[in-house]
Amino acid sequence: MYDICVVGSGAGASPIAYELSRAGYNVVVLEKGEYYTEKDFTKDEIAICRRDMYIPNLKDEQHVINDRDHNGKITRYEGEKSGWNFWNGSMVGGSSNLMSGYFHKMKPNDFRLKSEYGEISGANVVDWAISYEDLAPYYDKVEKVIGVSGEKLPYKKLEVNKAAKWFDSTCRELGYTPTQTPRAILSENALGRKACSYSNFCGSYPCATGAKGSARAALLQKCPAKIISNAFVYKLDSTKDKVTKAYYYDKDKKSHAIEAKIFVLAAQAIETSRLLLNSKNKYFKNGLANNNNQVGKNLIFSAGGVGQGRIRFESLDKEQRQELMQAGLFFNRSLKDWYDYEDKEKKYKGGTIDFLFEHSNIISRAVREFYDDGELIWGEKLQKKMLKNITTSRVLSFEVFNDWLPTDYCNVSIDDKIKDKYGVAVGAINLYSHPQDVKVGKYLAKKAKIVLEKMGAKEISVSISELPPPNLVAGGCRFGLNPKASVLDVNCKAHELDNLYVTDASFMPTGGSVPYTWTIYANSFRVADTILKTLKG
Amino acid sequence: MNLLTRRIFLKNSFLSSVIFLTCSGELFGAITPTQTLSTLHKDLFPSSSFIPDVSFINADIYLSKIFTHSRIKDEDKEFIHNGVRWLNEESVDRYKKVYTKLSSQKRQDLLNIIAKTRWGEAWLHNVMMYMMEAMLGDPIYGGNVGELGWKWLNHKAGEPRPTKAYV
Repeated sequence: MYDICVVGSGAGASPIAYELSRAGYNVVVLEKGEYYTEKDFTKDEIAICRRDMYIPNLKDEQHVINDRDHNGKITRYEGEKSGWNFWNGSMVGGSSNLMSGYFHKMKPNDFRLKSEYGEISGANVVDWAISYEDLAPYYDKVEKVIGVSGEKLPYKKLEVNKAAKWFDSTCRELGYTPTQTPRAILSENALGRKACSYSNFCGSYPCATGAKGSARAALLQKCPAKIISNAFVYKLDSTKDKVTKAYYYDKDKKSHAIEAKIFVLAAQAIETSRLLLNSKNKYFKNGLANNNNQVGKNLIFSAGGVGQGRIRFESLDKEQRQELMQAGLFFNRSLKDWYDYEDKEKKYKGGTIDFLFEHSNIISRAVREFYDDGELIWGEKLQKKMLKNITTSRVLSFEVFNDWLPTDYCNVSIDDKIKDKYGVAVGAINLYSHPQDVKVGKYLAKKAKIVLEKMGAKEISVSISELPPPNLVAGGCRFGLNPKASVLDVNCKAHELDNLYVTDASFMPTGGSVPYTWTIYANSFRVADTILKTLKG
Repeated sequence: MNLLTRRIFLKNSFLSSVIFLTCSGELFGAITPTQTLSTLHKDLFPSSSFIPDVSFINADIYLSKIFTHSRIKDEDKEFIHNGVRWLNEESVDRYKKVYTKLSSQKRQDLLNIIAKTRWGEAWLHNVMMYMMEAMLGDPIYGGNVGELGWKWLNHKAGEPRPTKAYV
């Protein structure tokens, strides 16, 4: 019997494995994906971005998405047919291998959304069960252990493109405050890992130097936890107050059972709820830890969207052109001037705007040139456009992050028709976006657009929509003090079970206006401390 | 065609299998997707003053490799195959010739006609998308010979490069 069995191996899972195995406990990690390491990683656009090699083949494993509009009409999308899915990185280390590593802490107000901004009609907003101060020491720990680089951070800032200075001066002229975006990427050799190689292919790609602070590179490869890859956990069994076994299928669909004293679930929000809902038994007829029917509820994403503008050579001198086109260097700039704002005398929680260069994927960039004034073009017309746009301009993009308000209509359930290749019922993602999500996103995007315009960017476009980003998912097992309205207690232990913890983003009742990863890591380190104290008695 | 046969067909031979065309109920002729696509590729992305020689794209080789991939859906392969049939049916219908036998100008006219249809626009987009994969993917996949696609667009490939194709 193991001391601790961890299901999943990403940012929520790995701090537990790291801390407890290094403290001498017998830890096993069950990960459904492959175990790749740095030597396996390349920048192969066709494999990684065109054929999606790091997510399951949708023929084998899919999601069903039930999209609800504001009139209550629900449209069903089956993943295999539609291609729509919420997979993010089935591999040891999970999606943290593929993140861009834009690291932002949540702010104190994010922990008190209801108290600070009041009730919002149609939204299930609550305060967190902990405060910023509770998490602050663990944010600091992440800086050091995962490795966060930037201004006033343990690792010096990464090299940036000169165009970032143009951005800074533009923002200052506008009265905005440009900030340097912290990155979970090592700028120097440290922590037994190599520095960033400035490959120009970071987000969506695993890191071949180990500079990116993936859960695998930063934690799992630095600890003695046993890792079993290609292990798909399909059921947890329990008594009325304890989880007893985790059952998993190996690559050959052979079933195995793992016994442990403590189980930690962190399979990313959607799959975590799915596993609990699929783990019914006589004590938990609605699924494990779900006698209060809260599992899967209040699923959230990061609301917002994206925009971009093209900086053309025509507006630059020779030196500036060279600077703009210098590949590999980061942009690393954010605006947080509207993290709170007032509009028509009403106080709103706003968000973060990250600025970055368009992704370097050359096939995608070429495909984006296929249309001119809404018409498909080909031949010399296409060649001329492609050549001009790709070689004499660069696209500066922005990403808006604001709260996706939790509602009754956005949740995870189990689809009653479709099963995966193992014969297990797939997760159904029931989507609904609160009208305020888009309203706030549009407000922020307008500010970002002003910056692009002032920088002289052309062909500016903005897309703020109700479509959620598949890589920024949280909720489904919110933590809280009230066992009737939450799945987990303040320490992310299931209210109903003595030895089950959930440490991915499922615990988050609200998501803050930032990407989640820093917070997921920090909270998992916090829970690891709690488990350690419990084990030590 | 039963499911298994269809899968084997799509995996092994859909680019080279013969498509029979009829006109007014009579057998008009036979073509293969490879013949049509080969001509079409040159029509969609020709050698020109912007790019003097496009033979490096090697789209035929790339397609024969990539279309065996399990991650390209059967429906997508079928759509490429059906599009070849529909293009040629349109060609026979309008000009009484298969696409590859038309003059260059007539082929462009036909492409402009089908690009205004829903299927035609989607189909041409897909064909061009695979061409871009051939032209700008790593040469290990059989296209982008001599990295000339990357050189044309001043693109610096990311390191490390793949040492084997993911097919």
